[in-house]
Amino acid sequence: MAGMELLSDQGFRTDGRKPNELRRIRFKKGVFKQADGSAYLEQGNTKVLAAVYGPHEIRGGKGKALHDQLLINCQYSMATFSTQDRKRRPRGDRKSLEMTAHLKQTFNAVILTELYPKVQLDIYVEVLQSDGGNYCASVNAATLALIDAGIPMKDYVIACSGSYIRDTPVVDINNLEESSAGAEIIMAILPRCEQIVFIEMNSRLHEDHLSPVMDQVMTGCKDIFNILNQQVRDELCKKSAQDRIVDSG
Amino acid sequence: MADQYRIAQPKDYYRQFLEKDVRPDNRGLGEYRATVMNIGCVSTAEGSSLVKIGNTTVMCGIKAEVAEPGVDGKNGYLVPNVELSPLCSANFRPGPPGELAQVLSQNMADLIADSQCVKLENLCVCPGKLVWVLHIDLVCLDYDGNLMDACTLAMMSALKSTSLPVVTVDEESGEIKTDPSSRTLLPVSCCPVSTTLIVFDNKLLLVDPTSEEESLATGAVTVVTEGKNVCSIYKPGGTPLTDKQIRDCIERGFIRGKEARSLIEETLCSVDR
Repeated sequence: MAGMELLSDQGFRTDGRKPNELRRIRFKKGVFKQADGSAYLEQGNTKVLAAVYGPHEIRGGKGKALHDQLLINCQYSMATFSTQDRKRRPRGDRKSLEMTAHLKQTFNAVILTELYPKVQLDIYVEVLQSDGGNYCASVNAATLALIDAGIPMKDYVIACSGSYIRDTPVVDINNLEESSAGAEIIMAILPRCEQIVFIEMNSRLHEDHLSPVMDQVMTGCKDIFNILNQQVRDELCKKSAQDRIVDSG
Repeated sequence: MADQYRIAQPKDYYRQFLEKDVRPDNRGLGEYRATVMNIGCVSTAEGSSLVKIGNTTVMCGIKAEVAEPGVDGKNGYLVPNVELSPLCSANFRPGPPGELAQVLSQNMADLIADSQCVKLENLCVCPGKLVWVLHIDLVCLDYDGNLMDACTLAMMSALKSTSLPVVTVDEESGEIKTDPSSRTLLPVSCCPVSTTLIVFDNKLLLVDPTSEEESLATGAVTVVTEGKNVCSIYKPGGTPLTDKQIRDCIERGFIRGKEARSLIEETLCSVDR
């Protein structure tokens, strides 16, 4: 039985994590000069790069412009070498298009779009290495890139996944856990006001089990938020201290 | 003020610097930007590397697949592909690969064929039945000029770090077995390195151009060297150059080749595989 191996009797998962433990998160903001905002994020073995261009004039026909709000343009692509089997097309297949649509909807909900009428913002996400939780890593990386670009948002938007294995809710699932036919819940939330922006669940799950998993994922999101927020603030403090030295001296 | 001048009169702005034999980013005319390399950064790929020349960043991942050989029965395939997505610069649009990307892909294929750095016979698994196909995917992550050199460096360092699983074919049943635990390094016989120079104002030669310099250039030359040999010289039109100038370019190419090769060796040694 596959479920037996995914969570050992001692309560450890295949990669040695506890059910409520996240993978290691590392990130760096402002990695590239060309983009207005960029970020590189690692969640375990999932490595994602996000770049933000804009807000700038509408490209490719003024007809697309929205008269009262910002037009958000997303592109999600996976490097052909990011998965175990080589991907034929880095983008444009149905799964990437679905992901693109999801990202666009997620960020439409959190960016203060009414501040930028008739202009466009580009969010590009590239998955360099994939080990499950691509949507989550993409959302988290794009949030950081948007912060780097200085785009006004309601709050951070943080995504995390979860599953239900051997009567235990688990959080931040990897590729192996994702592909082993259990239920998968993906949530994107605004951590400070605890609102859910995006939720998706595939496969079957008893309704009694849904809320424990959702609670666990919510906690996971908040943990990720704390990690990201801490580092963003530290960097900002360091930067402003440096600027002060430059200004005074 | 200087920034406005730079945008409004880029050529004049550059001329003022170049008169004093220096470039706006503090480099001499023949100086390369700092080159940083990381090998083996993507574990899902058989070989991978990340190269930064200044701000220009290129990531290379090599995926191996098995396929049936062509008519000769023993030659494998190497398929380089350069991807310039809109992520790396505001100048690129979403959609099918542009001219620059396609030209670079072809340049990479020519480079492998010209230098014979990977012998196609070495990619044979079972004569007449099975050969390796190596997909060399180069993704540009940040575009700030001199993609050719960055791509070559990324491709060669990734190839040098590529290891393939041992594959055996059962003679009778034709069954293919792979043993992922034992891997062999891909034999790479040599390491060609490219050096790109641009021509400014029809006379000055600048090594390792940034994207700004590329847009002001009146011509470009790429010299590919390997050890003491010149692999290829590529000068797509532009300002005609004298024999002496081409010689200078080649000389600069040899110096760069030595530096780049020792960088690859150093990085390979520092990364345990």
